Amino acid sequence: MIDGLLLLGSGIGAGLFGSLLGLGGGILIVPLLTLAFGLPLLEAVGVSLICVIVTSGAASGVYLERRVANLRLGMTLELFTAIGAMAGGLIAFLLDARVIELIFTGLLVYVAVTMARRRDAAPNAPTPGPAAPDPPIAGTSVADPRPGAIRSFLDRMSGPDYRIRRFGFGIVGSLIAGVASALLGIGGGLVKVPVMHVVMGVPLRVATATSNLMIGITASASAIIYLLRGGIDPYAAAPTAIGVFIGASIGSRIASRIDLRLLRGLFVAILLYTAWQMLQRAIA
Amino acid sequence: MTASNPGGLSTSATGAGSPMSSPEQASRSLERTIARLLTIGTYLSIALLVVGVVLMAVSGIGPLSGGPAFDPATLVADLAALRPAAFVWLGLIVVIATPSARVAVSGLGYARRGERAMTIVAGLILFVIALSVAVARGLES
Repeated sequence: MIDGLLLLGSGIGAGLFGSLLGLGGGILIVPLLTLAFGLPLLEAVGVSLICVIVTSGAASGVYLERRVANLRLGMTLELFTAIGAMAGGLIAFLLDARVIELIFTGLLVYVAVTMARRRDAAPNAPTPGPAAPDPPIAGTSVADPRPGAIRSFLDRMSGPDYRIRRFGFGIVGSLIAGVASALLGIGGGLVKVPVMHVVMGVPLRVATATSNLMIGITASASAIIYLLRGGIDPYAAAPTAIGVFIGASIGSRIASRIDLRLLRGLFVAILLYTAWQMLQRAIA
Repeated sequence: MTASNPGGLSTSATGAGSPMSSPEQASRSLERTIARLLTIGTYLSIALLVVGVVLMAVSGIGPLSGGPAFDPATLVADLAALRPAAFVWLGLIVVIATPSARVAVSGLGYARRGERAMTIVAGLILFVIALSVAVARGLES
């Protein structure tokens, strides 16, 4: 009973933090379940995948209703995240858990440093935008070397105020995000959002919403492998997923009223402490 | 992760706000259907998980006691017998299946509108998901 409440509370905390700071809860759930509750790493990743699907489903419904997510782009890229996730789900069962723990430690440090740098940026500093738009093309059919069908497909995927570019990078980024999601139990937005925004020229809010939409299929492709190979503990997953859902719902409602600078500093400290704990576990 | 509206948009980032043409209306309708499906799937799965957790508490089952493996053959009988694991597993299956249902509905919507490329993309995604099941089953046996 107490363990159930602790798992529920941990899920609420992970969902709340993740929602307020724009991160998937996975980055917190896996260390929590392994370090605090003693779950084996693979089971923690399996539970985390369930949690990220739940939060993705809830948020994606809202994003699609508000027409922020780009469904065509999301579906096309998630074909590749799903392939990456399937591969990652298989690799996860072949790798030594300590290797995954080391990779996770690197991820925690990376996110902590990224967060800290964001905190140090000047308040009025411009948000890094997408790369400069393509120069106008005279006689597009002659200047654009892509075959007509592909060009037409990419044009239909583009939005009214942006045009999809460098789609090949999107494919590579999606494959990497899929593998990372399956190995570490995260949504993979850390890879997908920068690739879509900075490389492919998708506006940040659309990239974030589209990445969120893609998480569902990405995580479910590997969650199936975890489920069928006994990598998901149902009793641990249920209270955690409910908690994450509650936490994310609360976070989305109070985000505009919270001073995120202090929260971000606290989060950086938690991430670094967790990275240290995870590193010790990996090398023990 | 968050369900908030990024940037506080009051209009769409993908074209809402302007008078909609017929393809635009069809696109809007499909997105609404998918949004509803995702929301219903999520709430249904959470409801099933809540029932499972309540039954766990009533039965005195701890969440760290190690749950039973998933067995589709006994799922219906276990649900009828109000076994906690059955409700939890069904909730988890709904969680995992909801994104695939979203892709299937999207594929059907695109097929109805004659968008061959997106229909193929949806079909390929479902193929990858089916392949995941097949590969995992193959490794299991």
